Amino acid sequence: MVSLSDTAPVAPRRPRRPAFRRFTISNMLIAILLLVCVIWLVVPFGMAVLWSLLDPSVRWEYPDVLPPALSFARWIEVWNTTSLPMALRNSYILAPTVAVTTLILASPTAYAFARHDFPGKGAAQVLTLLPLVIPGFVLAIFFSALIFSLGIYSRFLSILLAHSVLFLPYAIRLMTVAFSNVRLDLVDAARDLGASPWARFRVAYWPALAPGILASLIIVFIQSIEEFAVAFVVGAPNFTTIPSILYSYLGYNFVRPNAAVVSLVLVIPNVLLMLGLERLLKSANPAQTGVKG
Amino acid sequence: MASLAAKGISKVFEDGFQALTDIDLVVEPGEFVTLLGPSGCGKTTLLKTLAGFYDATTGRIEIGGTDVTAAPPEKRDTAMCFQSYALFPHLTVAENIDFGPRQAGVPKAERRARLESLLRQVDLEAHRDKLPNRLSGGQQQRVALARALAMRPAVVLFDEPLSNLDAKLREQVRREIRALQKEIGFTAIYVTHDQSEALAMSDRVVVMQGGRIDQVGRPEEIYARPETAFVADFIGAANLVPFEDLGGGRVKTPLGELRAAVPPAGNASFICWRPEDVELVEAGAASENVIRGVVRDRAYQGAHTELHVATGDADLGLQRLHVAGAAPAEGAEVAFRLGADQIRFVRSALA
Repeated sequence: MVSLSDTAPVAPRRPRRPAFRRFTISNMLIAILLLVCVIWLVVPFGMAVLWSLLDPSVRWEYPDVLPPALSFARWIEVWNTTSLPMALRNSYILAPTVAVTTLILASPTAYAFARHDFPGKGAAQVLTLLPLVIPGFVLAIFFSALIFSLGIYSRFLSILLAHSVLFLPYAIRLMTVAFSNVRLDLVDAARDLGASPWARFRVAYWPALAPGILASLIIVFIQSIEEFAVAFVVGAPNFTTIPSILYSYLGYNFVRPNAAVVSLVLVIPNVLLMLGLERLLKSANPAQTGVKG
Repeated sequence: MASLAAKGISKVFEDGFQALTDIDLVVEPGEFVTLLGPSGCGKTTLLKTLAGFYDATTGRIEIGGTDVTAAPPEKRDTAMCFQSYALFPHLTVAENIDFGPRQAGVPKAERRARLESLLRQVDLEAHRDKLPNRLSGGQQQRVALARALAMRPAVVLFDEPLSNLDAKLREQVRREIRALQKEIGFTAIYVTHDQSEALAMSDRVVVMQGGRIDQVGRPEEIYARPETAFVADFIGAANLVPFEDLGGGRVKTPLGELRAAVPPAGNASFICWRPEDVELVEAGAASENVIRGVVRDRAYQGAHTELHVATGDADLGLQRLHVAGAAPAEGAEVAFRLGADQIRFVRSALA
């Protein structure tokens, strides 16, 4: 047989634009984007880092641009005097459990949305988004009443249930997309080649589902770590999570450096996870590329 | 290599749509049979029923004499080449081809031998470690074929495998498929809507329409002796004219009285002839089967010129003629003769 080579058509070069026009439009947009990024993300984050490292012996006041002295004293103080170690443990046990539970609960619904047509599908899809529009505290107050009247007194279980309901919309959306990325011809091909159900899953379903599963786990995990209303109303005072401690600094005993420490404890792992998620979603998924001629 | 028999297959989908009606088809071992028909004629449904993806509502399917009607696709000794190729995108060419034998638990040495010989046969040795999306369409098609053949299936089922390729490549790959089929000797059932593909590749062609088989025959039979107006029109080009039987091979048509070599069968309702079967004659020639008309338009096709000729009867529409060499101009009056043995009689449609 003759080997076939792709003869990619040579794209005609676009006429060069005058240099000044490129400068005014695209460079200015990039500059504005960078500026917004700095104002909204880098400055607050940098301030939090600086405040958390402020030495307790000095004050950081006008006209000092930077703190006069830095130390880890605040970090040590917060770690030793608050229930942060316990809250960390609670949050980091709760959030993965919520992430997995939500994924398991969302998958059958997502499968149905992606793969089946049934009467009322549109309405059902809107219904599953409802938890997003109900304010957290409203849900928390009524949910705690419901939980107690059901006789569930485990704080962990209650928050787990509440968080799962609260974050189902994210998982359902992500998994619906993932399931609709599963190519049925691959499932058929695997069957035709004698694949067992497990082999079929691995070769036809998993490659399409994996990015959705990971995205769903990470997003629900982050949401659960950061959620305050339900965790506070249902869990306090016995079950503290990191946001409960953070919110306790708002009010009469507001100590900015300590609040900064807790914020960073809350935020840094999430930022790392988000960066990981970015990479996952960007990773080239060969299942998405079509057939070349 | 094995025979395949479909006996009285019909398929009614959940929504009540009857996709197949009373399909009877026997494919001999090593035979290359094409299912040909327009889209929606049920050819792909039939293929998927043979593969086991659809359950037949009624009827039996036998492969090599064994009843497989109730067997799922993974238990049938068939392998399918999909229209989309359906290559596993995250597996390399070699892994794709090796997938079936690995699932079947074929011993490792045997698997390697099959892989090597198939890679050589489809000329993809240089691409064995590439992912499918790095290959051209023709190469992907060949991986799909090799993957199906690696199963050593009794029957290979092709679902319009060439429809995603451009015309030139299509012709080349179809020759390759046919050569491989002769070399390895598998039984093949091939779905296409392209009549030239069907005529060029097949031992036998099954022409389908509306979920039924209209005619089964060798390509030459299908072309030369269509049994229905649909087959005549779908395979190549045909002129179809209603007639009245005058007895003794003589028929009365809107084109005039004609004589056919063979008298019409009882259920025939049209006469049919191919555009290339006519012969232009002198305008004044007085012999039998001569028809006169005016050229309404002409299209030069290289080997021949296609003429659309209006004859006396306005309701009949234009007759198509293929004329080699110098062709009359538009508006010219022409006379052409039909050979008595070129006139066939066809049924209107479904029997």
